[in-house]
Amino acid sequence: MGVAVSTVLAAGVISYRALVVSIESRQQVRHTHEVLERLEDVRLSVAKIEANYRAFALTGEESYLQAYRASVLRVAEGEAAVRGLTTDNPTQQRMLPLLEEVTEREIQMASLVNDRRRVGGLGAAVDAMAKGPAQPTIDELQTVVQGLEQEEMRLLAQRNADYKRRVTEVKFFLVLRTFLALAIVMAAGWSVERESGRREKAEAALLDCEGRYRASVERLQESASSGSGAKSHVPREDAERQLARMEGRYRGLLEAAPDAMVVVNSNGQIVLLNLQTEKQFGYRRDELLWQKVTTIVPNGFAERLVADGLRSAEEALAQKIGTGIELTGRRKNGSVFPIEIMLSPLGSPDGVLVTAAIRDITARVAAEADLLQKVEELNRSNEELAQFAYIASHDLQEPLRMVASYTQLLSRQYKGRLDADADEFIAYAVDGASRMQRLIQDLLLYSRVGTKGRDLLDTASETTLKHALLNLRGAIEESGALVTHDPLPTVRADELQLTQLFQNLIGNAIKYQNPGIPRVHVSAHRDGGEKWMFSVQDNGLGIDSKYFERIFGMFQRLHKREEFDGTGIGLAICKKIVERHGGAISVESQVGRGSTFTFGLAASQATP
Amino acid sequence: MSDGGSSGPPLQVLLVEDSLGDVRLTREAFREANMSIGLHVAADGVEAMAFLRRQGANQHAPRPDLILLDLNLPKMDGREVLGRIKEDEDLRTIPTVILTTSDAEADIVRSYQLQANCFLSKPVQLDAFETLVRSMSDFWLTMVKLPQQRHAR
Repeated sequence: MGVAVSTVLAAGVISYRALVVSIESRQQVRHTHEVLERLEDVRLSVAKIEANYRAFALTGEESYLQAYRASVLRVAEGEAAVRGLTTDNPTQQRMLPLLEEVTEREIQMASLVNDRRRVGGLGAAVDAMAKGPAQPTIDELQTVVQGLEQEEMRLLAQRNADYKRRVTEVKFFLVLRTFLALAIVMAAGWSVERESGRREKAEAALLDCEGRYRASVERLQESASSGSGAKSHVPREDAERQLARMEGRYRGLLEAAPDAMVVVNSNGQIVLLNLQTEKQFGYRRDELLWQKVTTIVPNGFAERLVADGLRSAEEALAQKIGTGIELTGRRKNGSVFPIEIMLSPLGSPDGVLVTAAIRDITARVAAEADLLQKVEELNRSNEELAQFAYIASHDLQEPLRMVASYTQLLSRQYKGRLDADADEFIAYAVDGASRMQRLIQDLLLYSRVGTKGRDLLDTASETTLKHALLNLRGAIEESGALVTHDPLPTVRADELQLTQLFQNLIGNAIKYQNPGIPRVHVSAHRDGGEKWMFSVQDNGLGIDSKYFERIFGMFQRLHKREEFDGTGIGLAICKKIVERHGGAISVESQVGRGSTFTFGLAASQATP
Repeated sequence: MSDGGSSGPPLQVLLVEDSLGDVRLTREAFREANMSIGLHVAADGVEAMAFLRRQGANQHAPRPDLILLDLNLPKMDGREVLGRIKEDEDLRTIPTVILTTSDAEADIVRSYQLQANCFLSKPVQLDAFETLVRSMSDFWLTMVKLPQQRHAR
């Protein structure tokens, strides 16, 4: 923390000085331009004086006289301005009196000619002109002005050179500052990530630090330009000592980083690397420095990052920040291994530097591949099982049909015609065969829940319930049952299977009854999340709690065949249907009072 | 018992079925339905075509008024038999009913594409099977109008 703050402070100092330097230089250039402009102005005005007094001499026209007077004023202004602008330059100041003297001479001449013209007419004016040194004055003026201009340019060049020198100094420190700051943050970030596995923290820290750095610089810039005075007058030597100390610290951290770290320049060359890089790739440091990064990362690194003609490196990098890229690393001995790299851009005046942290992910890749394979095997095995169940039940039906049909024919044809034993034997055979037929049909039904299931669509469960009740109307009428329901919602379901589900549950409710009128009630409530919980409540025989789990098993029956008909697969089918819909089914019950079956279905996306 | 149709000779049915058990069941079912018909049996597709074309030993075979055809047959499969019957100008006018254990959608579609007159799936339970045979023969042999046949002799 302290390190980061002092980094920012030191950086602030440096950038403030850079700012001051650049402001000064701009002012220099402006100054020079102004001086040159003014000199030019003076020269032009003198030329105009010349032209105007001659024209007046010739024509006697008032307008020329007026123009002459205006030019005289401009000359005076110009000279005063130049004097003001060059007060700090002795050489210029020495040359100025010369300028003034020459222009004065010119004006004197002009004045004389004008007077003569007014008084004595054209002849007198011409006379006066012939006596004076007109041409040489103009040449002399030219020479003086040029002298002043040259001096000004020389001054500018000198100031420029000075500026460049100071800026280079500042630039160097700036780059070092930024790189080391980022390197330390990245190293810290990766070691944090290694321990806590949170890469995001490092990124945030980097951006945060960058943000604070930028904010500090901005604040300093503002205060500098508003002229409220520098905030810190840190002497130059102190800052340099601090920098040297911090540099030492940063280098130490970089070397200690657990991952390989390299810095790549815009030519794709490695300009910095750490110990881990040497270890992971099997090179000595001097073998890798200034080599192309493609030596250790053959593909995928350089192409995207070096500024291509289509976009700047900054943009290309911006896309990569915070994401690890999976590539292949190559060791000195030629062997390759999978790596993950994380990039950080580093702007510098000479181009973009890229810092990359490289991690060996061989173990991770192997684990992922293993997992994928296991999942595939599992899927394949599941499918085989489903197919097997279907084929088995289907192919078992044929021979069973023969057995069942013929035992029934036997029974029909020979009942009472053979002895009593034969009748009994045949009866058991017939019974067994028909039971087996029903079992196989139920098994087929069960396996079809998976194989013939349709997509889950928005279904009005109330309508589905009504279909189920229609299918059960025989049983309902026979038992005199009363089936009621609350308004029921729209859910995501396979309509056919939902009908089956309702039919099984309500059919059971009616079947396993006490004497009296069976009552069944169907309701639904939201579970507070994405599901609707349905309840089918009856006043029937009830179920002993120790059977709550068992009844959902395949072919599980709690009653003798003579008491109640059925193969015991109904609830297993219900469970499979509900689970296919992503829910679960359970029962609450009291023996003699009744049971409530509850199951969950996903709510429709459309309705709230 | 009369066949309930015209007062002519009993109607002839060709049953193409390889399972003897099924053949007997079908025969019993017709008996249960009080249908007195001439039932002929071909155990595979080759025999069926020979019978229909009156080839070889089948020279004096009658032309059936109804064909009951199973799909899964050895040698020549039921689908092929169906195809051949319906391609033949003379044979295609005989109502051909598919009577099979399969209820697969693919089989149903294929059969109708080959122009089967209808598709029946054999029920697993005996009484249901008997009801089916009774309804089917009621329909095709007493209610439906069949084309006047040219008898061999």
